[in-house]
Amino acid sequence: MQNNMIKISNLEKIYRTEEVETIALNKMNMEVKEGEFVAVMGPSGCGKSTLLNILGLLDDPNGGSFLFNGEEIAHYNERQRANLRKRTIGFVFQSFNLIDELTVFENVELPLIYTGVKASERKERVEAALDKMQIMHRRNHYPQQLSGGQQQRVAVARAVVNQPKLILADEPTGNLDSSNGNEVMALLTDLNDAGTTIVMVTHSEHDAKYAHRIIRMLDGQTVTESILREQL
Amino acid sequence: MFKNYFRAAWRNITANKFYSIINISGLAIGLATGIMLLLWVQNEFSYDKFIKDYQHIYEFSATMPTGNKTATWPGVPGPLAVYARSIPQVKSIVRINNNYGQLFSNADHSKILRGFNTAFVDSNFFSMFNYTLLEGNKKDLFPNINTVVLTQSTAKKIFGGENAMGEVIITDGNNFTVTGILQDFPQNSSMQYDALFPMAFYAKQFTANGGNGSWKTIDEDLGDYYYTTFIRLLPGANPITIAKAFTAAYKKARNGDIGGSYFNLENLADVHLISADGNNSGLRMVQIFMLVAILLLLIAAINYVNLSTARSMIRAKEVSVRKIVGADKKQLFLQFIIETFVLFCIAIIIAIGLIVLLMPLYNQISGKDLHFSLANARVWEVILISVIGTLLASGLYPALLLTSFDPIYALKGKVSSGIGAGFFRKILVVFQFAISVILIISTLVIGYQMRFVQQKSLGYNKSYVFTVQLPNEALNHINAVKNDLDAQPGILSVATSDIDDITNIENFTGDLDWQGKPANSGLLITRACVGKNFIPTMKIQFIEGGNFSGTPADSFHYILNETAVQKMGLKPPYIGQPITFHDQKGTIIGVVKDFNFKSLKNPITPFIFFTDWYQGNILYIRTTAKDARQAISSVRNEYKKYAGDIPFSYNFIDKQFAANYKSDQQAGVLFNLFAAIAIFISCLGLFGMATFTAQRKTKEIGVRKVLGASVINIIRMISMDFLKLVIIAIIIAVPVEWFFMNKWLQNFAYKTNISWWIFALAGIIAVLITIGTVSSQAIRAARANPVESLRTE
Repeated sequence: MQNNMIKISNLEKIYRTEEVETIALNKMNMEVKEGEFVAVMGPSGCGKSTLLNILGLLDDPNGGSFLFNGEEIAHYNERQRANLRKRTIGFVFQSFNLIDELTVFENVELPLIYTGVKASERKERVEAALDKMQIMHRRNHYPQQLSGGQQQRVAVARAVVNQPKLILADEPTGNLDSSNGNEVMALLTDLNDAGTTIVMVTHSEHDAKYAHRIIRMLDGQTVTESILREQL
Repeated sequence: MFKNYFRAAWRNITANKFYSIINISGLAIGLATGIMLLLWVQNEFSYDKFIKDYQHIYEFSATMPTGNKTATWPGVPGPLAVYARSIPQVKSIVRINNNYGQLFSNADHSKILRGFNTAFVDSNFFSMFNYTLLEGNKKDLFPNINTVVLTQSTAKKIFGGENAMGEVIITDGNNFTVTGILQDFPQNSSMQYDALFPMAFYAKQFTANGGNGSWKTIDEDLGDYYYTTFIRLLPGANPITIAKAFTAAYKKARNGDIGGSYFNLENLADVHLISADGNNSGLRMVQIFMLVAILLLLIAAINYVNLSTARSMIRAKEVSVRKIVGADKKQLFLQFIIETFVLFCIAIIIAIGLIVLLMPLYNQISGKDLHFSLANARVWEVILISVIGTLLASGLYPALLLTSFDPIYALKGKVSSGIGAGFFRKILVVFQFAISVILIISTLVIGYQMRFVQQKSLGYNKSYVFTVQLPNEALNHINAVKNDLDAQPGILSVATSDIDDITNIENFTGDLDWQGKPANSGLLITRACVGKNFIPTMKIQFIEGGNFSGTPADSFHYILNETAVQKMGLKPPYIGQPITFHDQKGTIIGVVKDFNFKSLKNPITPFIFFTDWYQGNILYIRTTAKDARQAISSVRNEYKKYAGDIPFSYNFIDKQFAANYKSDQQAGVLFNLFAAIAIFISCLGLFGMATFTAQRKTKEIGVRKVLGASVINIIRMISMDFLKLVIIAIIIAVPVEWFFMNKWLQNFAYKTNISWWIFALAGIIAVLITIGTVSSQAIRAARANPVESLRTE
C-alpha cells in the first residue's frame, strides 16, 4: 500500500472581484498516492486548472487542508511554497512555456541553477535529461527553431531534470498533433513507471487512458472517479 | 550562477536592440553630462582643502556700518599681527598685501614682462600654507628684504630654461634675488600668485615714505585696511571668540573710536564660494549645477525605468517560467539588477569615451581647467557615485515590479503592468518634461536678461573706448602725449584717469564731509581722479553745472553723481555748495546723471570725480568702429616713445564690461547645453515609449481602422496620451520657474521682467518637441494595413 503523496480535504478557492464571487474549488477532496498517475478531466471552468495551480504550490487555497507527504502546507507562505516547489515538483504546460532567449540546454538547466547545483553536475544532468528525451542533438537551438513536439520534449526534460517526485501536466498534448502527442504521453508513462507521481489535467479521453485513475470534476468538486488499472 | 545571470542579461540586451540602444544612449549621454557637471562641482568644493590643517585656518574680514547698512571687505589693518601675539589659541598669523599687474625684468633688462600678480607676505607664509617648494630653504626663504620667491612658470617666463635660483629680477626699480621656486599654485587654490616678496620690504618702504600720518610702521598703522590676513587657530578654538578678541584689541588701540566696526573670521574652506560679506552666490551656483547634474541623471534613469516597466508585460512569461521552475524572488531580483548593471557597464564605457572627447570643449565653455583621468581616484569617486546612484534609481523599481508578477496570471497573459505601474510611468514622464520645461524657461530668461544687461544704457557710452596703462616716464609728459594723440586721425578724444576699469570701480572712501553731515552717516563714496576730458570722453551727462576747466582751480572742485547728492541730503541748487574731500575743502561744480560704474548686479551708489596735478596713469581713448585699428596703432607708437621695452597692451571697455558677466554668460551657455541634453534624453525615452505604445496597440489600431478611423484619428489617439502628460508638466513647471527665475533676477539691480510669452514659448517648444518625437511612430502605426495587423494577433 503506497502512502498518500497528496491529500486534500474540503479545499476551497474563491475568486472575488467587486461584483462577482466565483467558487473555483468547492470543498474539494482528493488523494494521490506516491507513484500514481492521475488524470483530471472536466469541462472548462470546472476548476481543473485552479486545482493544478494549488497542487503545484503556485496558488494558495482559501480554506481546507492540503497535506503534502503528510505535512499540512495550506498555510505555507510564498517563500516556503517556492522552496518546496523547486525541490519536488516539475511542470509541463500545454504551451510549453520555454524561455525564447535561452537555448534548449539553458532552458533545461534553469531549475538546477535555481536549486544551486554546481555547474559540472548541471551539465551532466541536463545532458542526461536531453538524452532521455532524445533531443540532445538540438541542445544549442532556440525554442523557436524547434517543432511543437520537440519543444514539449524540452519542456518535459526541464520538468524532470531536478528529479521531482511529482509532475504536474496541464494539457501536455493540447498543442501537439497526435503522433507528437503520443510520444509525449509515452514519455510521461515512462517517467511514471520509473516512480514519478503524475497529475495531468486533460480534455483528451485518449490521453486520460494512460493514467491509473481518472478524476472527473464539475463546479469545483469531484463528481466521479474511475480506476483504469492498478498501480503496480 | 552569476555567469548565467550575465548571460541572460546579455541575451536580453541583444535580443531587443531597439530598446537597448535607446536605453544605452540615454544613459550614456546622461552619465557623461552628469559626471562632467559633478567633476566641476567636486572641483569647486575642493578649493583650498589641499592645504594642511585648513580646518584651523581662517581669513579675516572687516565689517563697518555705512548709514543703515554695513559693508564688509577682506582687508584688515596691519597691527592685527601684533595683537595675535597676546591672544592665546592663535597659532600663527600671516599678512598678505596684494599687488596686481606688476612689471618684471631680468637683470640686464633683456626681458621685460608685465601682468604678474604678486604679493608681499609675512615670512611665515610658507609654514602656514604648505604650497610645494621646489627649490630654496623653506625655513628661511627671505634671508633679506631684497629677495623673491617665484613660481615655476614665472621663473620660466623670465629666465627661460635657466636655473632662476640666485638670479636677480627688477621691479619698480628695485633688485630682488630669487631665493625660492614654488610649484605653480594649484588650480583649486583661491590664492593665485606669480611671485611672493617679503612683507619686510613693503614695511621698510612704508616707513621710508612717511607712513600713514602719525603711524610710522605697518605694525602701528591703524588706518589702512590693506592686508589680506590669515590666522591659524589651535584646535578647539572658537573663531567667533577670537575675532571678538581682535576687535577688542583694535578698539583699545584706537581708544574706542571704531564706530561699530568689527572683524570676522571665515574658514579657509569657505573662502572660495562664500565672499567675505557673506554673499554665497558662488556656492548657490555650485549647488544649482549639482542639482542639474542629479536631475540629468534622474531623467536618464527615468527613461530606463519607463521603458523596462512598460516592456515588463512582454517579459512576464519569462519571469513566470523562471518562478515556476524554482527561482525565488531574490534570485530574480538579482537577475534584473544584473541586467541593468550590464546595460550600465556599456553605457558608462560610452560615457567615458564621450567625456574624454568633450572635456576640452567643456573646459572652454565652463572656463575651468578640469582633467579627466581614470588614474585619478577623485574622478572615480564621481563616476562611482553617479553610476551607483543612477543604477539604484533605475534598477530597483523595474526589478521589484518584474519579480512581483503572479506567475499563474502572467503566463496566461492576464498581466497588465497594473494601473499602479502605468500611473507611475505617467508621473515619471511628467517629471521628466517638467524638468525639461524648467530648463527651457531658465535658458530663455537667462538669455533675455543677458541681452537686457548688454543693451541697457549705462549712463556713459562704452563703445569704441579703449584704455592703456601709461608707463611712468610718459606721465611726466602727459600733456605732450595727449596733444600728440589728439592730433591723430581716428582718435576722437583722449582722457586720463586713475581707474583702470570704469565698468567696475572699486575705490571708495568715507573721507567726505559736508554741511549737515549726520554724525553716524558712514556714507561711503566711490571716487575717481580724472583729467578734464574724462567726463566728455565717456559721454557722461551733466544734470547741473559743468566740467573741470583744466586750471589749477580744479583741485578745489568736485563733481558728484545724483545718488551722492541725494544720499548726502543736499538741496538744489547743488552748484557752489561746499564739501571737504580727503581733507581738501572745495565746492561742487557739477552733478552728473547716475551712471553704472559697477556690475548691473549692484545698484548705483554715491560717486565723486576729483582732479589734481596727477590725473591718473590710465589713458582713455575714444575712437570709431572703422578707425579702431589705426587708433590703437597710433597709441602704440606714442607709448613706445616712453616705455622702452615695456610691452604695450590695451583693453576695450565693452570687453571689460562683458567680462563682468562672464560667469553669468557661462552659466547661460551651460544652461542652454544642459537643457538641450535633458530634452534630448527625455525625447529618447518618449520615442521609445511611443514606439512601444504603437506596437502594443497594433490590434486596436487595426480594429479602429476597419471600423472607419482615419490616419489623423489614429495619430491623434496615440499622440494625445503623451501630449496630455507634457501639458501637465508645463502646468507644473511654470509656477516653479516663476518663483526661481524671479529669485535669480533679484541678483541684478537692473532686471528684465519675466513676461508671459517666455512661458508660452517654452510651452510651445515642449509641445512641438513632443509632437515631433511621437508622431513618426504614430504615423507609422496609423498607416499600417489593418489586415496585416489583425492577422498577426
